[in-house]
Parts: sequence; structure tokens; C-alpha cells
Amino acid sequence: MGGLARNPSGRPASPPPSDMRADPRMQAPLSANLGENESLLRDVYADCADVVFRRFATGDGTNALVLYVDGLTNIEELDRCVLAPLMLQTADLPARPPSGQPQAAQPFAQPAGQPAQSQGPPQAAEPPEQPPGQPEGPTAPQAAQPSAQPPGQPAQSQGQPRAAEPPAQPSGPQPTAPPPGQSPAQPEQSPGPPPTRQPTTQQPPAQQPSVQPPDSPDPLANLRIPVSGAKPVADIAGAVREISIGGAVLLIDGRPGGVAFVLSNWEKRSPDEPKAEPVIRGSREGFTETIADNTAQLRRKIRSPQLKMREFEIGRLSRTRVIVAYIEGLADAALIEDVTARLGRIDIDGILESGYIEELIEDNPWSPFPQVLSTERPDAAAASLLEGRVVLLVDGTPFALVVPTSLFSLLQSAEDYYQRFWISTSIRWLRYLFFLLSLLLPSVYVAVLTYHQEMLPTTLLLSMARSREEVPFPALVEALLMEITFEALREAGVRLPKQVGTAVSIVGALVIGEAAVSAGLVSAPMVMVVSLTGIASFTIPRYSAGFAFRMLRFPIILLAGTLGLLGIMLGVLAIIVHMCRLRSFGVPYLYPLSPMNGNAMRDIFIRAPWWMLGARPLPGEPINPRRQSGGQRPGPEPGDGQG
Amino acid sequence: MLDNGKITPMQMLLLLFPTIVATAVLLVPSVTERHAGRDMWLSPIWAMLAGFAVVLTAWALHRRFPDDTLIEIGERVLGKAPGRIVGIIYVFFYWHAGGMLVRQYGEFVSGVFLMETPTPVIMGGMLVVCAYAVRGGVEVLGRCAQIIIPAVLGMYALLVLLQLPSLEPGRLLPMFEFGILPSLKGSIVPQAWYTEFIAVSFLYPSLTDRSKGLRWAVFAVLLVAFFLTLTNLVALMLFGEMAGRLVYPVMSAARYIVVADFLEHLEAFVMAIWVFGTFVKIALFYHLLVQCTARTAGLSDWRPIAMPVGLLILLSGIWSVPNLQEMIDVLDSSSVFELVSVQLAIPVLLLLVALIRGKKAAAAEAK
Repeated sequence: MGGLARNPSGRPASPPPSDMRADPRMQAPLSANLGENESLLRDVYADCADVVFRRFATGDGTNALVLYVDGLTNIEELDRCVLAPLMLQTADLPARPPSGQPQAAQPFAQPAGQPAQSQGPPQAAEPPEQPPGQPEGPTAPQAAQPSAQPPGQPAQSQGQPRAAEPPAQPSGPQPTAPPPGQSPAQPEQSPGPPPTRQPTTQQPPAQQPSVQPPDSPDPLANLRIPVSGAKPVADIAGAVREISIGGAVLLIDGRPGGVAFVLSNWEKRSPDEPKAEPVIRGSREGFTETIADNTAQLRRKIRSPQLKMREFEIGRLSRTRVIVAYIEGLADAALIEDVTARLGRIDIDGILESGYIEELIEDNPWSPFPQVLSTERPDAAAASLLEGRVVLLVDGTPFALVVPTSLFSLLQSAEDYYQRFWISTSIRWLRYLFFLLSLLLPSVYVAVLTYHQEMLPTTLLLSMARSREEVPFPALVEALLMEITFEALREAGVRLPKQVGTAVSIVGALVIGEAAVSAGLVSAPMVMVVSLTGIASFTIPRYSAGFAFRMLRFPIILLAGTLGLLGIMLGVLAIIVHMCRLRSFGVPYLYPLSPMNGNAMRDIFIRAPWWMLGARPLPGEPINPRRQSGGQRPGPEPGDGQG
Repeated sequence: MLDNGKITPMQMLLLLFPTIVATAVLLVPSVTERHAGRDMWLSPIWAMLAGFAVVLTAWALHRRFPDDTLIEIGERVLGKAPGRIVGIIYVFFYWHAGGMLVRQYGEFVSGVFLMETPTPVIMGGMLVVCAYAVRGGVEVLGRCAQIIIPAVLGMYALLVLLQLPSLEPGRLLPMFEFGILPSLKGSIVPQAWYTEFIAVSFLYPSLTDRSKGLRWAVFAVLLVAFFLTLTNLVALMLFGEMAGRLVYPVMSAARYIVVADFLEHLEAFVMAIWVFGTFVKIALFYHLLVQCTARTAGLSDWRPIAMPVGLLILLSGIWSVPNLQEMIDVLDSSSVFELVSVQLAIPVLLLLVALIRGKKAAAAEAK
């Protein structure tokens, strides 16, 4: 009560810390005592209706617990592959042991061996140091698996934990221990209470691989569970982490630690055509909201193991998975370090879209220009990777981030590289022209009409004057009015449901266009200027870049209205200076135009044919400076040799 | 080094080029015609020699003191107190030169385009943009020049191309009617402009590839000479000797251009050339003033003084001359002496003293 009084927000006096990592409960290891673990977990997941705790008894009567999040985990698989084997397998096993020692032995070793192999190497590497004069120590873990069977017993005491234990079972003198899926302790003294013995057998491993707590207890040892993705979890935090990404965590009484089975399966969207970046020629596949699908799409495009994907978890509460993908040997090591350092700096409650990350890692947070490229096209992301850039994938959004980015990569479309280079080159120039128009056209119109009428040819000036005769506003006000209306129309068109959208466009075209002109509120040339500007701004292939320039045209219109053409020039100069000051992850924003790089400019002013694009596009000294071998210019010569 | 930015030799060239051309391209025909008459196209070529003298002097000093600008070189060569005086001279010189430059810009724009806008507003607007660039350091200046100057060159080439039909080479004749002397006299004022190349001394230490410094600086001088000669030739072939009576012959020339009955009155082009080129020049002078001030005063960081210095430049621009006529008079007479003495005489003096007290300088270089 006192707590309530003190706390104005009315929350309990000691709310759980917002950062999960700071919660002391999370640090608790999963002990061998199932009840203890369960109460800890139930405490953590208090009032979480979607978390399912399923208690059951395995065949030999040991208590076990499975917990998962409803809707994230594939329940059918869980029943079939985890619960069923554990509950049923043991039931029929008592019949086997007398005759089936060898048979039983073989099957054990294999399922147990699989996880053991995956976790084995770090541990198997250690014995050579500790047990002096242990000849089998240095053997590779895989090799130890089959061969360890005969000398299994001696090895047991030395605590080559994984490799030694499975064979211990068949050789165990007491076949009374029917449950083969049970702990290595079982064979020796089956009737005894498991918890007491567990520690004794686990001690040798605990001493040895002290470096790796999560691996030291192997709760999965000789369990027959046909699930490929199984990871040991050592503490509550690990269990929570696995559960929240759709895993099912299995805890068995008497075994410290638990196992998480990767059985995640939730409703997801299938790869769709990227809506914001459509192409005529090129892949129709887009990223989705599921990060595993996105990494798979990248991996399908770049199969080399040089494609690296480092995983991060960002967001105190959302614990969003973020993957930093790059190609080893192409991406600058300093760049990767920079990216990871900036990601590591992020401390925020939740990451719901890559936009959060973009704003938290960019170089100049006040700039109107995007310094990070976002794309939902896997081919664009893969192309960036091949250029030595770094791609950030964020779970929950189809938009991947690409760094570093320059102005020119924002003005290029993925399709530029798929078309014939003449087409792409001319389209690029068209884009540059309209990019300038989208920034300057309305302001030039205002400046010329207000200050520099003499620049127009007389006939044009006369017809413009005629159309402006009835207009009550000065050109500046007229331009601002129309431009703002256009922006409102565009925004309404994006937000409105599709059915209403058509209504908006009709209203826009008729009311704003026709009616305004015939009512004499706006001149016809102004309507043309505004619509041309609108079209121009949509030729910029990246929405965020297009938006930056559309936004900047308003201050320039104001400058044009006050200082005429000089104002426009000052505005353009200010933008140029700003861009010259900008960097994106160390790369100047106007690279390769300034600082100039002749080779890289082949991909700016023209889109040189692929066989000419040999140099790596980013600044710096790359490890292997050529993207392709030279002399690939095609011609009529057949095949290799003559060329 | 106060400013750790690095520029490429090409960026250095593009910074130096407008330093002379931006102002000269408008004024050089009228200024040279007064003395050289029909031979005015030759004057910029004679004047080029002063450019080489300055560039070579700066290079010789740079070889002796690779990491220093003129300010530090002055202190090393002459000692602490006299060196400070050299520094103070440069601070005041660049303050005044920057002010005059901004004023020139303001007078041109308000005289030709925005006749009713107060000149200080025009000057202030430009200085705000320059201040933003200057705060970025020499690296940002270099990058801006690399974007802007090629565009300016393109526009200039277009302007010349569009005038080709109206050019009359016959106006160049007779050449050397009064011998070579008039063209030499005509080169007096332009050679003072060429001494502005001393800015190279402040840029040499920032080069990424110092070994190429001299080559590109000499190239810059040649390029400037080429452009001034071209401008004079075009003005001469277009207006004959009348070019001397127009304040801005290039501007007037642009008025005559008519292409396909649509492109007329390309003054906006000239203004764009002038504004963009002058922007680089003002920003460079502003940068030099900030650097000289910070170095002379021994500041550890120059960024905080960038804005106040801009205000001072504006004031000096307003106060130094009362009107355009007097400014042209100053540019024609006393400014020549000012430019040459500060930009050529002092560096040469420093070089001589360094040569005489050679040992000391060599020891400094060895460090």
C-alpha cells in the first residue's frame, strides 16, 4: 500500500526491470529439480495465458515438463516427436532389455550422438589437457563416437562426457534399467532416486568444461527424440528466449538444464511481389516479415559460405532478432565493426520496424536525407552485398537496411542492372532530370513569374499573363497552396482504403484541377507545374529519397518567392554543402562524384555494360579489387580461346 | 594541424580555379581593355607569370615546412613576435579581401538582378551558406568545389558555344598596333589577381598526395590563364573595343543570345556561373580567414569562431567601400598594391629569410 502511495503511476512498488537482462530471476540456472524450475518459470510467466505448461511423466515415471507459447509452436510436431517418444518409448522398453542389450545400445548411441556431435567439439577438445596420459583424448569427437563403445567404461570416469556416456549404458551390468532414454546415471543404480545420482555423474563434466555452462549438462543425452533442431538451455533466460521464438522447452526431473526444440511454426505471409519496388524485368520475390525466410532468400542468391550473417538481439522487451549480413572479404572489416558497434549502442524497449534501427544508427540524425537504404527486394539486397555493403535484416519487417548508402544508390533501381545498358542509361538520365525538376520546378516558376519575367519569350509571357489575369494570389501563395494540396492528395491516396481511393483521385483531378482553374483561383500553368512536379517526384525509385526532395522544395519555393533565382541558387548551394558534409558509415554521401572516382562513375552517369563494371564500387582498398575478370566483352567469337 | 581534412590534388585545383576566375571572368575584359586595347587577350597570359611565381614560392616553402601554412612558417622563419605580425597581417588581409569579395558579389547581384533588395541581405544570405560549408572544414570545401565547379565550367562552355555565331574574329586585328607594351600594362591588374594563388600555401599541407601538389597547382594557373584569355577573346570578338566601357561585358554578351526563339536572356546563366563560382571563392577566403585567425591566436579548435568571423566579413564588406564606383577604383589602384605585397612579397621574403637562415629551417624539416 505504501508502495502504491509512493508510486504515482500506480504500479506495484517494484515493477520488473524493463530490461530483461537485468532481472535477477533470469540469471537463475535450471537446476536438476523440476519443481524448482517449474515454479521459477511459472513466476516469470505469471499471468501469461498464452504460455502452456504441460506436465507429464515419462515412461519410467520421471516427471517432465514441456512449455511453449500457444500459436508459436507446432503442436502436432511436438506431440508426435517429443511427447510421444518420451511417454511411449519407455513403456515398451522394459520388454526389450534382456534380449536387446546390443540392439538397444545401437539405437541409443545414434540419437544421442547427434546432439552430442553438434556440441561436442568444444568439449572434446579439452580432455587432452586435463586427463594426463589419456590416449583416447585427442580423438576427434565424431571418431570417438563409434570407437568409444568398447572402451566406454574406462572413459566414463574421465568424463569425456558425451562420447563416453552412451556406450556406458549397454555395458552397464544392470539391465534392470529399462528406460534407455534416460540419464547415463541410470545403468549403474537404476532403483535409486535419480536426483541424488545425477550430480555425481555430472560432476566430472562440470569440472572439465567449466568454460561452457550451457553445454555442460546434456539433458538430451541418449534421449530418442527425432527433432533436428535441439539446443540445450542452461538458465531461465535461455529458456525464455527459446520459448518466445516458438521453441518448446523440455525439462526432465533429475537433469539439470533443459532442451529447447525448434518447432516454431506460426502464421506467416508467403513471399510476395515487393509492393513498393515493382520491376518489369527481375525477380518478383520480396522479403517477408519472417527473418528466417529473408536470410534464406539471401542465402539462395549467394550460396558461398563467405556470406556471413551475424545475429543480434535488440530491444529490451521486444528482443527483436537483427541479422547483420555481409560478404567476408568484400565488406570492409572496419565497416562491419562500425555497424556492430552502432547496433550494440542501441538500448530501446522495442524494435518494431527497421526504421527504428535506421534512425538509431545513421550518421547525421538531423539530415532530411536517408543515409540508409531500405529495400524489400532480396535481389537488391544481394547486389548490395556483392558491392561490399552490409545488409541489416530485422525480424518483423520486410524492409532490409543497406549501409553505407550514397545519394546515387538512392536514385538507382534494381532493374537498371537487368535491362540493356542503353535503356538503363537513358532512364537514369531521365531520372536525374526529373529529380531536379521535382526539387526546382515550382520554385523556378515562382521566381520567374515574380522577378525575372524578362527571361520568358514574349509570347509565352503573354499567354501566362492572360491565364493569371483572374488569379487573386501572388505566384508564391498559389504555388504553396497547390503543392500542399497535392501532398495532401497523395497522402490521402496512400492511407485510404482502396475503394475510397478512387473517389479521392476523382475529387483531386476534378475539383483541384478543373474547377479551381475555371473558378479563377489557380492558373492553368500552375496546375501543370504542380502535376509535373508530382510525376517527377515519383520517378525517384526510393520512396524515402523522393520524399526528402519533395519536402525540401517547400523552403526553396519560399526562397524563390523572396530572393528570386538567387534564392533558388542559395537553396541549391545549401543542399549541396549539406550533402558534401554528409557521410553514411564513413562513405561520403556524394561518392563517387565527390570525392571523384572515375571507375565508380561508370555506374553513375551511365550504366556501363556489365563487362565494364569490373572495379569495386565502394571507396577504399578492397582485398580483391576486381569484381570479375577482364576482357569479357562479348563478340561473335565462339567460346573461350579465340576471344 | 588544426584542420585534419584531406583533399585530393584535383579538389585543390578546383578550389583554386574559381579563386581567380570567379571574380575575373566578369571584370577582366573591362579592366584589361583600358590599357591593352585590342591586345587585351594577351594580358592574362603575361599576368600568368605572377601566378607561377606565387605557386613556386609557396611550393618552395612547402618543401621546407611540409606540415605548415604561411602562419606557422612565418613564426618559424622570423621568430615568435615577428611571425605573429605576419599572421596578423594575413588575418587582416583576408578579412579585408573577403569583405571586398562579398561586397563585389552583393553589388553585382543587386545591380543586375535584384535591384530593390538591400545589398547586406544578399551578402548575408551567401555568407550563411558559406559559414555552413566552412564549418565542415577544408574537406567539405573540396567536395563542394568538385560538385560545383564542373557544373560551372559546363555552363560557361555552353555560354561560349551559344555566342559562337555572333563572334567576329576580324575585331582582333590589327594585333600589336602599339607594340607589346599596352598588353603588358594591361596585365598589371590581372597579375595582382593571380597572386591570390597564395591560397595554395594553405592547401598544400592538406593534400592526400603531396608529391602531385606542384603539378596540379601549375595546371590550375594554366587553366585560369586559358579561361581569362578565352573570356577576353570572346568579349573582344563580340564587342570590339567597346568591351572596356561595359562593367560586365560577359553579362551583356549573354543578353544577345537567342536560340531557336526560345532560349533568350541567359543572364540567369551568367548569374548562376557567378554565384556558384563566387560561392567557392568566398567559402575559401572565409576558410582561410578562419584558419589564419585560429592559427595566429593559437586556438585549439576553429569551429567556434566560424560563425562570428562570418559576421565580421559581412561588416567589412559593408564598411570597406561606399559604392560600386569607388570599389572599382579601389580594385584598379590600391588593391593591386595590397594584393601583390601581401600575397607575393611576404611569401618571397619568407622564402629568402628561410634560405639565408637555411640551417634552422632544414632542422625543422628534418623533424
